[in-house]
Amino acid sequence: MVEKRLSKRNRKKLIQPGIYAGVIIVLSLFPLWIKSPYWTHIFILTFIYIIATVSLRTITISGQFPLAHAAFMGIGGYVAAIPSKWFGWSPWLTIPLGAITAMGIGILIGYPFARLRAMYYAMVSLFFGIGVLQVFFVFQRWTNAYHGLTGIPPLLSVTSKVPYYYFFLGLTVVCLSILYRFEFCRIGMTLKAIEQSHLVASSVGINEPRYRVLVLAVGCFFVGLSGGAYAHYVRALSYTSFDLLATLWLFMYVLIGGIGSFAGPIVGTALLVIVPEFLRGMKEFVPYISAAILLIVVFVMPEGLVGLPQLVESWMKKHREKRAVHHAS
Amino acid sequence: MQLTLITIINVLVLSSMYILVALGFAFLFSIMGILNFAHGAIYMVSGYICYQLAVEWALNQWLSLFLSVILVGAFGLFLEKYCFRPFFGNLNRTIVVCIAIIIILETTVNVTVGTLVRSLPAFVPGILRTGFISVSAEKLVTVMIGGSLLAAMVWFIRRTKLGQQMQAISQDVEGAALQGISVHRISALACVLACGLAAVAGCLMGAIFNLSPFMGGHMLLKALELVILGGIGSVGGIFFAGFVIGTLDATLPLFIGGAACEAIGIGVIIMVLLFRPQGFFGREAG
Amino acid sequence: MLLEITELTKHYGGLVAVERFNMSVGEGEIVGLIGPNGAGKSTVFNLVTGVLKPTKGKVIFDEKDVTGQKPHVIAELGIGRAFQLNPLFAGFTVFQNVFASFHLRPKSSLLDAFFNTATYRRNEAYISEQSMEILQLLGLDGVKDELAKNLPHGHQKLLGIARALAVKPRLLLLDEPLAGMNSGEIDFTMEAIRKTHRAGVTIVLVEHNMQIMDLCSRVVVVNFGQKIAEGSPSEVRDNEEVVRAYFGGGGCCLV
Repeated sequence: MVEKRLSKRNRKKLIQPGIYAGVIIVLSLFPLWIKSPYWTHIFILTFIYIIATVSLRTITISGQFPLAHAAFMGIGGYVAAIPSKWFGWSPWLTIPLGAITAMGIGILIGYPFARLRAMYYAMVSLFFGIGVLQVFFVFQRWTNAYHGLTGIPPLLSVTSKVPYYYFFLGLTVVCLSILYRFEFCRIGMTLKAIEQSHLVASSVGINEPRYRVLVLAVGCFFVGLSGGAYAHYVRALSYTSFDLLATLWLFMYVLIGGIGSFAGPIVGTALLVIVPEFLRGMKEFVPYISAAILLIVVFVMPEGLVGLPQLVESWMKKHREKRAVHHAS
Repeated sequence: MQLTLITIINVLVLSSMYILVALGFAFLFSIMGILNFAHGAIYMVSGYICYQLAVEWALNQWLSLFLSVILVGAFGLFLEKYCFRPFFGNLNRTIVVCIAIIIILETTVNVTVGTLVRSLPAFVPGILRTGFISVSAEKLVTVMIGGSLLAAMVWFIRRTKLGQQMQAISQDVEGAALQGISVHRISALACVLACGLAAVAGCLMGAIFNLSPFMGGHMLLKALELVILGGIGSVGGIFFAGFVIGTLDATLPLFIGGAACEAIGIGVIIMVLLFRPQGFFGREAG
Repeated sequence: MLLEITELTKHYGGLVAVERFNMSVGEGEIVGLIGPNGAGKSTVFNLVTGVLKPTKGKVIFDEKDVTGQKPHVIAELGIGRAFQLNPLFAGFTVFQNVFASFHLRPKSSLLDAFFNTATYRRNEAYISEQSMEILQLLGLDGVKDELAKNLPHGHQKLLGIARALAVKPRLLLLDEPLAGMNSGEIDFTMEAIRKTHRAGVTIVLVEHNMQIMDLCSRVVVVNFGQKIAEGSPSEVRDNEEVVRAYFGGGGCCLV
């Protein structure tokens, strides 16, 4: 009986949830060790960006490339900030409102192109991502886009960052759980099927446009949510956080961490947000390093950094086999 | 009268520059299947290179323009060989490569010249006056250069063998290859041309307007507008769209504020996308 | 008549791919569709399954007009298809390929799937069972955890058929199921097709290989997008025009 329980397969099945649980526990205890508000802030930003990057990756499993993802974060942010700042609405109302608006616009943009090749959606979302910023400028009166929108009401009326930390940790866990379930139930399998062959998918009855719009809706909802939450935490919005470059950075985080796995964006975001903090002196040059890492990872390690353990394992196996052959001869 | 003339000149300036950049972008898309969204960054960097050469290192400005074009054109060769050719039509990889390029280019600009808005002095300073009409010489020269380049491009595509080979590839890559057309060489040529044209536009526009880190994104937006409006694969369409957008951009700000004009432009494009995704002249999408 | 195709026509500008094609298939038949390369056989399939829109003509399935409907609607109505060039879900395993194809019957709603309800779990278990049955029918259960892209060609084609069966079709369209197979695989596949037919599935086959024509109760011959002959396999084999089409147009062996 004991042997059965510890069989290799069962062990492997427990590793993944085990890691996640362990990480969550460590993160929960984190504020007790590190008292620095600066680092708490960095971690909070990481949580926010993790929601954004994981939702980005979720969209890509259907083969679509949301090149406007940061713009949707901006939509969520401004739609949450404006009624709250100018009309006194509660952030607890405006943040979901921002998420729903982002979702709605995501559907609107995606729907006409759900029937066309993915390249067209890529082009249109690229266009939209740059263009929507102009809309922020048009509504200058409310968005104060030229100078930055400040004085956004806070989400929690506290002076310390610690409650925010737990709020965002909880929010991230909830959002990621939803996205995880979404990907690993039949819905996700259907999306992956569409990405591999839309001809075969439609021949087994999969309504491709409907699924493509569905995943866009889900992805845009969560990134809008992250934008709204960001607005009410940082309490200031600058449109440069949501331009094309911002979307490209989100893609960077995902690609470096590994676009093929759920944990990829988590690893990539954590790495690229936290590590540069240690290189404060060289902050200007961080993009070079990131770009270099991006190119190396994508071409040498297509699974991204998440695939590193496997890579090491297979390299060690090969090494062991070589030695065995060597000894035998 | 004066206002009309100035507006016409502005229309010509904007249209010619937009078309210059959009044409290259469309080449890359129709010939190599690459959605080069680093094109805006390339445009921007050319302007900054010109600035670096002409202002920081005090070279002759026309020489700086020339050098910038050569450099960026050469960069285009490098791009085609190592970045685009291996990933012909593969959207995943293209995105990765474009991300890396944009980040590297923008960072380089940030650490060398800096993020402040810079001004490239006019290539041809001064104002021409005849009678009661005065025109900025710079803009006039820009229109002339832009116009000639565009005319040369049209001649090249329609009349020369190489140009026709480019057309062939954009319609059917395999068929063209079977006909003995060297796809690699033509692609390289297309890439060099695209980057070179963008470089010219970057320097000239940098002199008329300002150099800023945002000009790349802005021009990419315009290129996309032209390609969407005019249809992929149609040179005539891009010219038409260029004039339409150029006219809108030059005339609307006279009546409404700047941001609203941009928003209107975007609204137009969205309308087109909803009702006719292939643009006015493009081939059938999907 | 389960399937009635009337005056089906497809023009591509000046090129005529299919011209005024008529064919009917009764429930429980196996009908063969043969002809030289480029005769338009796959195009007929594409027109029936909605991958292409016909220029003219009608497709009536089970008394319903399904002309020009989208492919996923056609699948819902009960027409399954295996493709000639056999695209697959290359990154999925053999088992996953079939498992993912059970999209229609039984159908779990999105909410059921997301919230892992009892209905969903029941459906998924049932689908699992059914997938294994199909794999066993086609002899693929031994490789069920192999990635589809790593399979040898013959197995891939069998997987294509397996996938089409997941739709629980009343009418199964097989496009060159034997292409590229060795004789052992051919025998096995023909037996699998026979078994499927015995289970009540109506089948239309496109093939070059005349061996398979013996399975069919009826054969329709196409050339240049038009029907040129129809009848029992032996009748068709002796038909002069058919022989001319094959030897003149570069088809396969009339063994």
